[in-house]
Amino acid sequence: MIDDTARMAIAAARRLRNGEACFVGIGIPSLAALVARHTHAPGLSLIYESGAYGADPATLPMSTGSPSVASGAACLGDCTLVFGELQAGRIHVGVLSAAQVDRRGNLNSTVIGEYRTPKVRMVGSGGAHDIASLVGRLVIVMPHDPRRFVERVDFVTAPGLGEDGGRPTGTRGTGPADLLTPRAWFTFETGEMTLAGLQPGMDAALAVDGFSWEVPHADRVVELTPPSGEELAVLQRWHTMEGAK
Amino acid sequence: MDSTKLTSLEHCAAEHVSDGDTVFLGGFGHAVPFALGHELIRAGRRGLTICRSGADILADQLIAAGCVQKVVFGWIGNPDIGLSHAFRRAVAAGSIDWEEWTNWSMVLRMQAASMGVPFLPGRVLLAGDIPYELPGLKTVTCPYTGETLAAIPALEPDVAIVHAQRADEEGNTQMWGVVGDTAAGVLAARRIVVTVEEIVDGAVIRSSPNLTIIPAHRITAMAVVPWGAHPSYVEGYYTRDDDHFRKYGDVSRTAEGTEAHLDRWVRGVDRERYLSMIDTKALADGVGK
Repeated sequence: MIDDTARMAIAAARRLRNGEACFVGIGIPSLAALVARHTHAPGLSLIYESGAYGADPATLPMSTGSPSVASGAACLGDCTLVFGELQAGRIHVGVLSAAQVDRRGNLNSTVIGEYRTPKVRMVGSGGAHDIASLVGRLVIVMPHDPRRFVERVDFVTAPGLGEDGGRPTGTRGTGPADLLTPRAWFTFETGEMTLAGLQPGMDAALAVDGFSWEVPHADRVVELTPPSGEELAVLQRWHTMEGAK
Repeated sequence: MDSTKLTSLEHCAAEHVSDGDTVFLGGFGHAVPFALGHELIRAGRRGLTICRSGADILADQLIAAGCVQKVVFGWIGNPDIGLSHAFRRAVAAGSIDWEEWTNWSMVLRMQAASMGVPFLPGRVLLAGDIPYELPGLKTVTCPYTGETLAAIPALEPDVAIVHAQRADEEGNTQMWGVVGDTAAGVLAARRIVVTVEEIVDGAVIRSSPNLTIIPAHRITAMAVVPWGAHPSYVEGYYTRDDDHFRKYGDVSRTAEGTEAHLDRWVRGVDRERYLSMIDTKALADGVGK
């Protein structure tokens, strides 16, 4: 059986290309990059904000500074090395998740509600703002939870696109490129979140079920290829399927 | 080493960190100075401003214990587990001040102070909502290209507390594995208080001087505290106690649970008792220097 984490991670992995330098966050972003590296993109270089370049963690790290990030990495520098490379425009792609995403691909991991008097005070940016501001393009993974998909995020932690659909002044890169959920694949080529593909067995209504705004469809909405045996086998080195014994 | 520098853990906290100080916490997930931080709680420090890029459960515990007046951070939480609940409660209660940056801008703030310049230009904090909540943040126009950059201000802590693998008698301190932003943060600070796993011969340090992150003349005080970074880890000595972070994630959801944790692990707990409560054998198993 395949769980939601696997659907997101494998679909996101396919958006990463061999030979790219890839700045990753903890959790499903790491899993996606590892699946890519161990299937179609053996030359994908995983970069963690703690300073690891070309990381290849044997177990899924709980922190960007975890032992598995350091051991087996090709290069272990410091924060200045990796964020410096990022700021210099040398890192092709980033993979992030967040508590909320909006139709412009802005991410929120700071507060739900008002900033000074929040309903929920969350963890803040970490490297997310920096990655979203500076990386070549951004791949986003999000569980399908209508509360996470809003027309406008409560707080823009990591900038995506502006209200005009263009990149905000001061940012680099093309910003959000792909958004993967357990149900669908969205793109941002037109300047707003657009349904571009469906996970196997899903329909267009389920893909955006509960979203508070009308999500446009691409001219052609494709059906994503089901995870291959190889992808699933590789993924399970780092992830135990939900419900599996 | 100057004999007044090599001292006890208690003395490090009592004499070299004062109420109201701005304190940089070392350790980017690796070698987090838990023993020193816990000693600050036992010493009853008040009114601290704590700062670091990615702040984990040590920051949460300092906040819960009432040591902290303000937190300056890029991220605060329990990695891969959840929120910093003590911070969340303090924000809800209006009992804490905070200043929120990003990890790269926090690194740049430390880097600037460590280099003795008032700011460094950065290509972040130019979009999104974070800059709106940093009213003192200014931009700068590059005199060469005319570009607008963020002028990320230097942050010079009064004191850095840091844990590392080893030092020699003089105080030359070595750290390897994940250094993160620890070297920048430590050298940004006016005073530096260090705990190490062990003291080694000066010849050992001098055989691999590239591992030294703090030269002896910058050290204010030092203590030898084995396992001083538990429940985080020290490369070459012991691994991360992931389960401890998970359990703290559960108990810290309530103020009562956090208090019980601090009573069990911090208040009135000496190092011998602390070490008796952790499975040192399992955590050191297979971790070779």
